[in-house]
Amino acid sequence: MQVGIGFSAESDHIKAAKEAVDNAMPGINKGKVDLAFLFSTIKFNHPLVLKTIAESLKNIPLLGLNTPAVMFNLGIYSNGLLVVLFSLPEGIYFNTACVKEVSTKTALASGEKLGEELLYGCQGVRRNLSIIFSDGCIADKQNIIFGLQEKIGRSFPMVGASTCGLNARTEKACLYFGSLALNDAVCGILFGDKLNFGLGIKHGWKPLGKPRKITRSSGNTINEIDDKAGVDLYQEYLAKNVSGLKKNLGRISTFYPLGIDITRKKEYLLRSLSSIEDDGSLVFNGDTPQGSTVRLMISSKESCLESTRQAAKLAKKSLGNQKPKLLLVFNSLARAILLGRQENMEIEIIKDVFGKDTPIAGVYTLTEQAPLSSAIYLGKSYFHNNSIAILAIAG
Amino acid sequence: MFNSDIILILTSTLIIIALSSMLLTKMQKIKQLQNEADELKRSLDGMDEQAKIIVRTDMELNRIQEELDKKISGLYALQGLSYAISMTLVEEEIFRRLSLEYLEKLGFEKTLVFLWDNERKNFTLKTAIGYTEEEINLINSHINANKNHCLNLIGEAKTLSSLSAPGNFITKNTLYNIFKANYFIFSPILPQQNNRGFLFVGTQNAETVITEGDEELIKILTTQLGQALENARLFEKTWNAQQELEKKVTERTRELTAALEEVRKLSKLKTNFVSSVSHELRTPLTSIKGYAAILLTGKLGAIPIEAKERLDKINRHSDELVHMVNDLLDISRIESGKVTMNLAPCDLKEIINKVDDLLSGQLKERKINLSVNIEPNASSVLIDRVQIERVFINLIGNAMKFTPAGGRISISNRKAGEMIQVDVSDTGCGIPLEAQEAIFEEFFRVDNPINQEVKGTGLGLALVKRIIETHQGKIWVKSKAGSGSTFSFTLQQG
Repeated sequence: MQVGIGFSAESDHIKAAKEAVDNAMPGINKGKVDLAFLFSTIKFNHPLVLKTIAESLKNIPLLGLNTPAVMFNLGIYSNGLLVVLFSLPEGIYFNTACVKEVSTKTALASGEKLGEELLYGCQGVRRNLSIIFSDGCIADKQNIIFGLQEKIGRSFPMVGASTCGLNARTEKACLYFGSLALNDAVCGILFGDKLNFGLGIKHGWKPLGKPRKITRSSGNTINEIDDKAGVDLYQEYLAKNVSGLKKNLGRISTFYPLGIDITRKKEYLLRSLSSIEDDGSLVFNGDTPQGSTVRLMISSKESCLESTRQAAKLAKKSLGNQKPKLLLVFNSLARAILLGRQENMEIEIIKDVFGKDTPIAGVYTLTEQAPLSSAIYLGKSYFHNNSIAILAIAG
Repeated sequence: MFNSDIILILTSTLIIIALSSMLLTKMQKIKQLQNEADELKRSLDGMDEQAKIIVRTDMELNRIQEELDKKISGLYALQGLSYAISMTLVEEEIFRRLSLEYLEKLGFEKTLVFLWDNERKNFTLKTAIGYTEEEINLINSHINANKNHCLNLIGEAKTLSSLSAPGNFITKNTLYNIFKANYFIFSPILPQQNNRGFLFVGTQNAETVITEGDEELIKILTTQLGQALENARLFEKTWNAQQELEKKVTERTRELTAALEEVRKLSKLKTNFVSSVSHELRTPLTSIKGYAAILLTGKLGAIPIEAKERLDKINRHSDELVHMVNDLLDISRIESGKVTMNLAPCDLKEIINKVDDLLSGQLKERKINLSVNIEPNASSVLIDRVQIERVFINLIGNAMKFTPAGGRISISNRKAGEMIQVDVSDTGCGIPLEAQEAIFEEFFRVDNPINQEVKGTGLGLALVKRIIETHQGKIWVKSKAGSGSTFSFTLQQG
């Protein structure tokens, strides 16, 4: 497999698209381009970008998403576009699919439809990895995964990211599929047969305070914790009234998610706060099953960076002795906010683990999708918050 | 029977006692466990209380860290912006360099710069970042509809924001519907100047908290912007003045070139005129001289002494006139390029010796000593021998004319770079400073008693200068009235 990465921050959309493709081409080493990923900041969400790329690459399958900043070997850029080109050897199969207007049907049905369409192109081939991009505004995203895995199976990992809609700059964030820029959609790729990869996902948040039980919840909304309104938990810990909490929602969401101990093995699945309802219910960026034990989580820059190192090491370990051709990084925007001016350190850590020349292409996300225990990845995939997922692809 | 009853009662009592004892022990254990559980719960609650303190402290630390990070990033962005705008002296370029990249680092994705146009009496938009054409038009109309209010705000020289502006400064609706922002900072540019204006930055990010630090950063930015605009305007002024000056210089140069061309044309006309007049004069002069000579021979009859004296005068003046006409013709030929110099290596010593032979009689007669000091290693020159002999004859002849009896004329030579310099000095009356340039002009004669007595054409030195220049050399004089003169000229090495 040959992989080429090209970046451009040109202000002109056509020039930027051309420059990014041109910069990626040498990595392909004159091979045939089979697949492309496009990660761009909102500014480059323009029809001319997709048109130029489609013309340059002769309409090959393309997937991607908007991100508050793109991440690659040279750093993190809040303005620019990143093109990743793949030239695949014989023996690696893939199929791409997209489901639009998710809000007009159930998330479960959308996931099932996406699974069916992905399977359609991979009949008779051993499936081994799927990558999914979804619109961050879809409410019950976990059911998309559920529906998808119902169709394509749980014997191989599903990794992915959803667009970030946390602030004004990113509220119109969209997905890319072929020559389309889409909202209210989910798209993905299913790889089959001989693709070798390693996966690592970690968050670096630690539990604090006593465990509590979700006594009433539905989907991604917690109504009651320990038989009290969900918001009481945050009021107690942060000593703020509801309006104070709402005012600091961004900061609370970033720094103090809830940790759900789903497996009872102290592997906490983070849930960042999305909104506070008038009745005191809490809405999270991910499902919150009733009866689960939850704890307030806290992190620090050091712990966050250490988790990046652990995720990279896990991905490297699960890849074995093979050298990766590409590191796809799906990184929560919350981590960038927590790290502040040290956000570039994550790239340095990844380079430190894999070697400085290993190509990196990454995006900032609202939620990340991956199995819970990434070292033994068989099983159900979950939506994660505040986590970094590193997918090392060796070809 | 009695005994067995007693035994049963005793056994039952013992069992009851044992069971009671066990129950008591159990109850004590349960109580102990309950105490321990209560203790653990209290510890857990205590730890939970500590956790709350930790979370609250952490939240405060994160808030401070965020503000600090924001300030540091803002300072870096401000430094970058200041550098970018200070590195250009073109006004439009200054506004172009207010890029989204820097402004986003300051926390704003919307930017407007308006400057007051004194002639049109309205605000002109200089930069709009983060707005569509339609939005820009709406903002433009709104600003100019409220221009007096804006001018007053600028005049107050205060930076205002969502944090510090009074409630009636801008309504939330106007801010959101026209300026498309939830939070803003307004800062005047050059409030004391005629070309004043303002910078507006805004954000839609609902989580933004405008601080005094943000106001301070934007105020610094507008000060820098004002300075850059001032510099650009000063530069433009200087540049325009320089352009004006250059235009004038070009015009004057063109006029001077035209005048020079005119002078050249006139000079050529003069040369042609002198040449043709000289030619025309030479023929009748030859006849006059010829007839005078015939008359003097007496072949046409005896001539009275008075008539002979007059004829001698005619003959002598004719000779002078012929000499003058010849000099004029030579100058004309040289000027018009008709004279070809036959350059060949010659020894200065030989030329000077020949001239010395020629003039020795006159030198002796006038009791003037000629001293020749020729350096052998600087005596070979590339010259037209005939022409350079004329130079020496003219210069020595001149020196003789102005050097009193008992005086001295000396000739020397030396290397001067690539050239050979020859100096002809005398101990004569010298030349006044103001006449030293003019003596090489045609017909110029220094106003002194000797010139009033001794006749001359005023063409000798003009001819000498042209001959030397035709040899690619230079000629000049150093003299002081009453202290003699030194004529120096250069020739190419032979």
